Amino acid sequence: MTNGNDADSIANGNDTGAGGVETLEGTVFDIGYQHYAGPREGRNRARIAVYKDGLRIALGLGRGGRAKILPWFFIGVAGVIGLVMALVAGAVNTYIGPDAVEQLNLPSHSDYYGIASIVFFVFAAVSAPEMLCPDRRDGVINLYLVRPLSGSDYVFARWFAFFTVMVVVAWFPQIILLFGLTMGSASPWDYFLENWADIPRLLASGTALAAYTTSLAMLVASFTTRRAYASVFLVGLFLITTPFTVGLAAELADEFDNTAGQWVSMFNLSNIPVHVNDLIFDDVSAVTEIAPAGLFAPSILISWYFLWTLGPAGILWMRYRKLTP
Amino acid sequence: MAALLIAENLAKHYKDVVALDDVSFEISEGITGILGENGAGKSTAIKIFLGLVQPTSGTAMILGENASESVGIRSRLGYMPEHDCLPTTVSAAEFLTHMAEVSGLPPKRARIRAADTLRHTGLFEERYRAMGGYSTGMKQRVKLAQALVHDPAIVFLDEPTAGLDPVGREEMLALIRKTHREFGISVLFSSHLMVDVERTCDRIIVLQGGQLVESGEVGDFTKETETVFIEVDANRERLVAALEQRGVHVTSDGGGLNIEGADESVYDEIRAALVDSEAPLRRMAPRRSELTDLFRRKAGAKSDNGETP
Repeated sequence: MTNGNDADSIANGNDTGAGGVETLEGTVFDIGYQHYAGPREGRNRARIAVYKDGLRIALGLGRGGRAKILPWFFIGVAGVIGLVMALVAGAVNTYIGPDAVEQLNLPSHSDYYGIASIVFFVFAAVSAPEMLCPDRRDGVINLYLVRPLSGSDYVFARWFAFFTVMVVVAWFPQIILLFGLTMGSASPWDYFLENWADIPRLLASGTALAAYTTSLAMLVASFTTRRAYASVFLVGLFLITTPFTVGLAAELADEFDNTAGQWVSMFNLSNIPVHVNDLIFDDVSAVTEIAPAGLFAPSILISWYFLWTLGPAGILWMRYRKLTP
Repeated sequence: MAALLIAENLAKHYKDVVALDDVSFEISEGITGILGENGAGKSTAIKIFLGLVQPTSGTAMILGENASESVGIRSRLGYMPEHDCLPTTVSAAEFLTHMAEVSGLPPKRARIRAADTLRHTGLFEERYRAMGGYSTGMKQRVKLAQALVHDPAIVFLDEPTAGLDPVGREEMLALIRKTHREFGISVLFSSHLMVDVERTCDRIIVLQGGQLVESGEVGDFTKETETVFIEVDANRERLVAALEQRGVHVTSDGGGLNIEGADESVYDEIRAALVDSEAPLRRMAPRRSELTDLFRRKAGAKSDNGETP
């Protein structure tokens, strides 16, 4: 606080000290509460704020060290897989010969998601519940819904934030692999010209994997306020359906006809986006090679993928839409 | 004075339960208290104005817009819920900045507003600490700060003194008064603590069983009555006898006595009775009505009608 004299000293500007040295004075004024007169950007700003907050939550940014460990560990693992594949391809090209990678049929872009999908599923299982569970557990959701934001806005912003993270996490190792394969080739430009079509394929396939994983993980997270419960359930869902469906599909194929086994194999939740990946790359991954579901027509596999992506996303939306009239 | 909130024949039914029954009132600038017992319909009314609940019938207008149709109007409203609503791992500065952005403020201005609001609510020094380590009083202040950070026209406070010790409660009530008198933000304050409402609010709305039973200026309900309240240290019974001998009507009120008298002559009668009965006077004052009396009257009226109060 200050008085009128302090204000005057400011108005008069700088003072000259005894030694002729100019001294600067500063005064702090308490001007009391000021009304906000700036722009109010409404609903769009609210959506963007929730989206940005979602990105920070998913990556543990602005949080303590513990919040960063799990997301960055899984991002690191996914990147290392891509890096190892790139290094192996580069070493084979260097020490065996320029065309050895193709002749040896080493894993490439089309195989990456088949190999690393489990890492993405566990990452989603661990990180996605953090997007929704604490807001409901701590009651923060009540504060969001009394602002210029509907339940649909909130859940869509959160979904899109996690989807963005999943897309980046899915593309990042593929880009490392692309860079490694291109630079490890005897003629990088020729390699690029021959394989440029892999770029839109890997982008599309990564996006498909991200959308599927995000929807399923966020739906499960919407049913509990405890992150741990959602994570354990999701890990179980992704991991347990694989041996269960593989075993049952084989039994049914032996006992009855192959169609029953094919349908059971469709419920292997880990394989659903990998089948789409196979269609995009027109190749069969190592994990889907033995899956009877792969024998279905592409239209069935794509419809099944959309059912398991849009279905959970729709149920998630319905659950949050009800929160505001 | 233009009304900020208007309830017109507002009703809300949850299957067989009537939460609000054809309620109409207007709230203008100032501090208004909504009083009522648990289940009186206070929270339902607030939720309807915040757009969280759709009324079964009637309309709730807020700042000139229909509360259940306009999402945008919520950028001019603040809400402090009764229950916990703070993330434990985030600092108050970060949380308030985020809440200001969600209210529609651009990021840079949101940061400035967050710092200013924390200063005005007395949390500036603690703003970078994770809120999980805050005391109950500090958490209540953050809850109020997040309701004010975007400079709303009106702020809804749901039981703001719940869980606070006497010092914390005093501080919170002072902050609520400051919210209107210094910040110029109107307050709608729901509570079942009549003392808090009596000391803080300019006007009250009393709900009971989903119906509006009273509304008006707090001063109208707490004005001086035609009763004098006295307390004595001894000879209480002799004093009562002496007063009754003089034809003065006396009723017992806790440790004291209420003496009815329409004019100042009653003071002469009291003085004479005190001398006769040799009762040492401790306190004598004209009695003021309290909001508690209002509830007593209403409960009494219900009992007379055969209803369970």
